[in-house]
Amino acid sequence: MLSVILITIAAIFFTGIIIRTKSLASGRKGPGVLQPVSDVVRLFRKGVVYSETTSFIFQIAPTVYMASVIMAMLVVPFGQSRGVLSFNGDFIFFAYVLALGKFFSIIAAMDTGSSFEGMGASREALYSMFAEPAFFILMGSLALLSGHTSFQGIFAALHIGSQISYALAALATFVLLMIAMIESSRMPIDDPKTHLELTMIHEVMILDNSGFDLGLIFTAGYLKFAIYGALIVNLFIGIIPYQYAIPAFFGIQFLMAVTIGLIESFMARFRMSHNPQFIVALTSVSLLIFFGVLLILQKFM
Amino acid sequence: MMEMIIVSWIVTLLAIFVLFFVPSKIKGYTAAVAVLANSLLISYIAFPALGGHIQEFPVFAGTFLGDISIRIDGLSAWFILIINFTSVTGVFYGIGYLKAYTNSSSKLNLHWSLFIIFHLSMVWVCMLQNGFAFLLAWEMMSLTSMLLVIFDHHNAQTLKAGLNYLVQMHISVVFLTIGFIWVYSSTGSFGFDAIRTFFLSNNNIWLFLVFFAGFGLKAGFIPLHSWLPHAHPAAPSHISGVMSGVIVKLGIYGIFRMITFLHADFILLGEIILTLSVLTGIYGILNATVHRDFKRMLAYCTIEKIGIIGIGIGIGLIGIGNASPAMYFLGFGGALLQVLNHSLFKSLLFYSAGSVYQQCHTRDMEQLGGLIKTMPKTAAIFLIGAVAIGGLPPFNGFVSEFAIYSGLIEGFHANSLSQIILFVLSLAGLCLIGGLSVLTFTKTFGTIFLGQPRKVLQHQPHEVSLLMLLPQYVIIALMLSVAFVPQFYLKIILEALYEINSTANGSVLINAYASTISAISLYSILLIGIAAALWFIRSLVMKSRIQRVEATWGCGYVAPNSRIQYTGKSFSKPLGKILNFLLIEKKQFEELKPGEIFPAKRSYASHYHDFFEHNFIDSITQRLIFSANYFSFIQNGRIQSYVLYGIVFILAMFILTVFNIVS
Repeated sequence: MLSVILITIAAIFFTGIIIRTKSLASGRKGPGVLQPVSDVVRLFRKGVVYSETTSFIFQIAPTVYMASVIMAMLVVPFGQSRGVLSFNGDFIFFAYVLALGKFFSIIAAMDTGSSFEGMGASREALYSMFAEPAFFILMGSLALLSGHTSFQGIFAALHIGSQISYALAALATFVLLMIAMIESSRMPIDDPKTHLELTMIHEVMILDNSGFDLGLIFTAGYLKFAIYGALIVNLFIGIIPYQYAIPAFFGIQFLMAVTIGLIESFMARFRMSHNPQFIVALTSVSLLIFFGVLLILQKFM
Repeated sequence: MMEMIIVSWIVTLLAIFVLFFVPSKIKGYTAAVAVLANSLLISYIAFPALGGHIQEFPVFAGTFLGDISIRIDGLSAWFILIINFTSVTGVFYGIGYLKAYTNSSSKLNLHWSLFIIFHLSMVWVCMLQNGFAFLLAWEMMSLTSMLLVIFDHHNAQTLKAGLNYLVQMHISVVFLTIGFIWVYSSTGSFGFDAIRTFFLSNNNIWLFLVFFAGFGLKAGFIPLHSWLPHAHPAAPSHISGVMSGVIVKLGIYGIFRMITFLHADFILLGEIILTLSVLTGIYGILNATVHRDFKRMLAYCTIEKIGIIGIGIGIGLIGIGNASPAMYFLGFGGALLQVLNHSLFKSLLFYSAGSVYQQCHTRDMEQLGGLIKTMPKTAAIFLIGAVAIGGLPPFNGFVSEFAIYSGLIEGFHANSLSQIILFVLSLAGLCLIGGLSVLTFTKTFGTIFLGQPRKVLQHQPHEVSLLMLLPQYVIIALMLSVAFVPQFYLKIILEALYEINSTANGSVLINAYASTISAISLYSILLIGIAAALWFIRSLVMKSRIQRVEATWGCGYVAPNSRIQYTGKSFSKPLGKILNFLLIEKKQFEELKPGEIFPAKRSYASHYHDFFEHNFIDSITQRLIFSANYFSFIQNGRIQSYVLYGIVFILAMFILTVFNIVS
């Protein structure tokens, strides 16, 4: 339960911090950190415009997407406190429930009959498909290392002691951060601030959404970011008591948001055709973690 | 028991006889009654076997075979009930599907009488425990299904697909015959018990692999899969539904049956099957992604699902070898549950795809679009099938895939390095399959049902009849029961598996996993609850909001038409481009010549080819045909020479006998 509260709090500030970092880096004052939240609140109050091509799929999709993200959030633990739902193999459930949300957001984009949105949908499906093996190999290696198969069991048993496990934690952070960037469509995979439909991925899929639905999609996006942040935090806090763990949670989430802001300020988006290579490369980083785990467990005998 | 069998034979013969005399309109119903009666009779025999009461009795099968034993254990009963259910939904759907053919009565006679025999032969395959009789039933099943596939025999493409199927099924029979004769020559018996004796005293690997090749051809493991993408699109949809839902599974049944006799080398065989299955799964779904013929796409998707079932079988085999009951139960249990699940959602998808075909008369998804407006029920059914087949919660596909995933993760406890690496890579492969099936089914659903119609069809499509929808609703109800009450099915499966291998005992661990899987069904309900609550809030809020309907955002372009929509082809093109070494695309077009100022109208076509068919099977058959041409003088069409061959043969036999070379 603790994790749900912490993730929600982190989600409120996360995107605001990214935007603030970006504006500071480019020499502007920028909006307040709560601006994204007030945007969403405003959207919830607005009326909607539907495309005449769309069907009921388009209307239920944002709801299903949001529900899937909430469901995924319930699985994430915080240190020694379990997630609301915790069972062996819950990371599979986590990935598949998020995939359900993605399924609906993709078909909702195709429901509009727009060529732009179809393009975005195709890319979203392709990139998240390529990112999945990286996540599963990472979680599989951690399960192998810890001997547990639930998020909570894995994270509680991770003891960062030897030098090689520091290296592993660093690599795992990198993989999770990159997966978060892919899933939330940030740089260097996708540029949320671009204004050319042909080069967008996630933003172009939701061109026709408005009002309450758009608000739901934004909220789900913010939550998703904080969920991946929480996973990264879990790599480090292990069984540290709460008085240190909770500040560490916010510290790491803050650091992550700033890092993303800095990456987006000083880096250009990859060429679309290079994205798959980059994402597949993540899988090889995961494999590196896997071999590191085998080394630690001394399986090469 | 025997009485039931006799009654079912009488029903079959009577129904076939009656079929020829009733008017075309009720031929389908006659067949349906027969199939339903047969299903009930056989299910009545099979049902107690699920609870552990093995049904065993001899049947007199003529003077040549003598008494052959019929044995229905939990495994057989599981497959028999699946066959019965799918055949019954298939026959009822088929009545509606073939409504347009009421004026071709002879075609219907043949079709429906074959369907009854076809159903019965599949059931007999699961009951017979004698190699020779088994092959007869197997052959009967292959022949009747081939004739059912070529229902539309005026179409050259269909006929070709049927022949392809016929030939490949006989290669399968050759392997099986070799296997049974091998056992016969070493033990002197065709009974299935002899296979157990054989395995006890001989090397297990080669005989098992021979049987695996035979059954694998039916199941569609790569590289033996190439009949599937031809036969499934050619067949009428209720036949493709039953073929994909059940016939293919009989290959799996055969493999399972052989595993029950296996005595050694579990780990090696498990590793072989696991590796092959992961590759089968990835290969199948990759091809499914790029094809535009939606029934061919579903056929490739069947190959993928066979891969997932195979992964389960591989895990189970390694589980026996490692003496890990958890892996044994999770692997085989996941595979058996996946067999049930796949027979449900694949037949559902084939039926709803058939409804689309019946209304639109095309299998090319690029010509469709926006059907959700004209066929909302079919669209909703297809969507449910698509989400379930992708293995996504809250439907039944997730339950079985979760069991298989758990089996893989359980395998991490293994000691051998090679096994751990194999399991981690299989984990990655399985999730890649999951991601690709999301891509495939969003593409298919989006292209067929969403957006705007891409082409003006000759007949305006409308929703299909209730008779066609009803079997699909029944299937969905059963799918939901697997999703939300998996305990019930798990219990049956565990019982059947315990029967096969009573030494596997790990009840504590298994119960833990079983309760996890039951818990997941509760979480699925929670997911639905959250979505429903959000929807409720949304509809409350939306009441007071202004809602307008406008054109889709066109980026300033004010004259959009349906042709500018994203096509299915372009949706999957990036993937096709990245994996162009595996997904072979052939383009046919004429390039513009340098001096051509006023180019004439020209066409462009591109097709994806099957990697194995294109690179291996085609080149082998071409060489065979090339060398066979040298012998074409023998078959020259002149009766005189054929008579001569006969005389030469008789003379040769005579001389050889005289000189005591043959006796």
